[in-house]
Amino acid sequence: MSEEPAFRVRDLAVSYGSQVALKDVTLDIEPRKIIAIIGPSGCGKSTLIRCFNRMNDLIPGTRVQGQVLYHGQDIYANDVDPVTVRRNVGMVFQRPNPFPKSIKENVAYGARINGYKGNIDELVERSLRGAALWDEVKDNLNRSALALSGGQQQRLCIARAIAVQPDTILMDEPASALDPVATSKIEDLMQELKERYTIIIVTHNMQQAARVSDKAAFLYTEVNEAGTARWGVLVEYDDTSRIFTNPRDKRTDDYISGRFG
Amino acid sequence: MRERYHRALEALDQDVVRLGALAEAAIDKATLALVENDAELAQQVLDGDDEIDALFVDVTKRALTILAEQAPVARDLRLLLSIIRVANELERTGDLAHNIAKVPQRGIPVGEVKHIGELLHELAVAARKLLGNAIDVWAQKDAGLAANVQEYDDTIDLLYRRFYKELFALGSDETTFEIGMNAALVGRWFERVADHGVNITEAVQFYVTGDDAYLG
Repeated sequence: MSEEPAFRVRDLAVSYGSQVALKDVTLDIEPRKIIAIIGPSGCGKSTLIRCFNRMNDLIPGTRVQGQVLYHGQDIYANDVDPVTVRRNVGMVFQRPNPFPKSIKENVAYGARINGYKGNIDELVERSLRGAALWDEVKDNLNRSALALSGGQQQRLCIARAIAVQPDTILMDEPASALDPVATSKIEDLMQELKERYTIIIVTHNMQQAARVSDKAAFLYTEVNEAGTARWGVLVEYDDTSRIFTNPRDKRTDDYISGRFG
Repeated sequence: MRERYHRALEALDQDVVRLGALAEAAIDKATLALVENDAELAQQVLDGDDEIDALFVDVTKRALTILAEQAPVARDLRLLLSIIRVANELERTGDLAHNIAKVPQRGIPVGEVKHIGELLHELAVAARKLLGNAIDVWAQKDAGLAANVQEYDDTIDLLYRRFYKELFALGSDETTFEIGMNAALVGRWFERVADHGVNITEAVQFYVTGDDAYLG
């Protein structure tokens, strides 16, 4: 690896109350790459992606063990403010969730509460251009964000995320509620974004993972003998081309080819 | 579960075996026609080539449809690429049987030239054996057996070289230019049949191991 990883995850385990949701996750994430997290429902994909910006903290009873180093800093260390983490590591969700405000206010919101001192109009334009939305909305910046189409709303959420100048963007199924055209736009946008940002995406769409990502992490559900408990494990993490042509683990092969284990 | 898709893949895999059986039968008949200088049998090989071509086109089209509709990945993707490649090797093998059969069909008695005829027969039997084994390797997806088949190709190369030397040693009074020329071509075609067999076994190795070194 030529560059220091953006994230170093070591022996990560997450529990909700007494229930283990995810364990034994160790991986490095290179900066300015797209990493796809794939696997069946309930395998811990969302739990994992939420570890990268401490979103799991918002769920009561969550316990995170192991280490998540972000540029060498343990983001779960006692002296780390999760708000700072989330400023550096933005997030886009499955359903576009713009605020019921104008397009401009949506983009400027995060910067304003962070006390942004620069020119807000410039920031809004730069962020909207960065999210490939500027040309479609530049004449209607004061229009309600809720009047935009689903695909536009999702790109607005991406603009909102990059307006606070993070270096990583987490995307939890960002295109699963969008039609194919809007999906293509998001996928194209991701390729542009990765020039500046590290992107981690959870997707149920195998072809999307194959198309957009540089590396893929396959998570799978393990069940205890009694069948009373199940948790996610990282089965395989490799170059996406390798995962989709010649995965090392049979569980990966079975899952991505639609056989299930 | 994608059962219909996987059943379609299996059927395609089986049809490649069927294509192999047709190619084998064509080589068998062409060899016999050559050795016995039987124009009628040779004609059967020429007529049968349409069946091989039709099955080849059918397999290729179905493979294309699966690629378009199912976006196969991992072992399915490797299988599909191997199916397309092996079908191509077998179609070419059918063409070679066609070329070989043309010789007795036109009444050129290469099989009757002194020991050249015997050597050619020996070469034909060896190439046919390799082809048959290669098709078994495909049917069983046995990468271990593939190496044995590839090793056997060395025997065929030796045989081919011996055949070629003998051919050059033929005096110009012992045969006509036309017969010598055709014997040389037929020898070359049998050697090519074995090469297609070797390519089939490499496709199996690629499918089983995923190692792209076998693509070359």
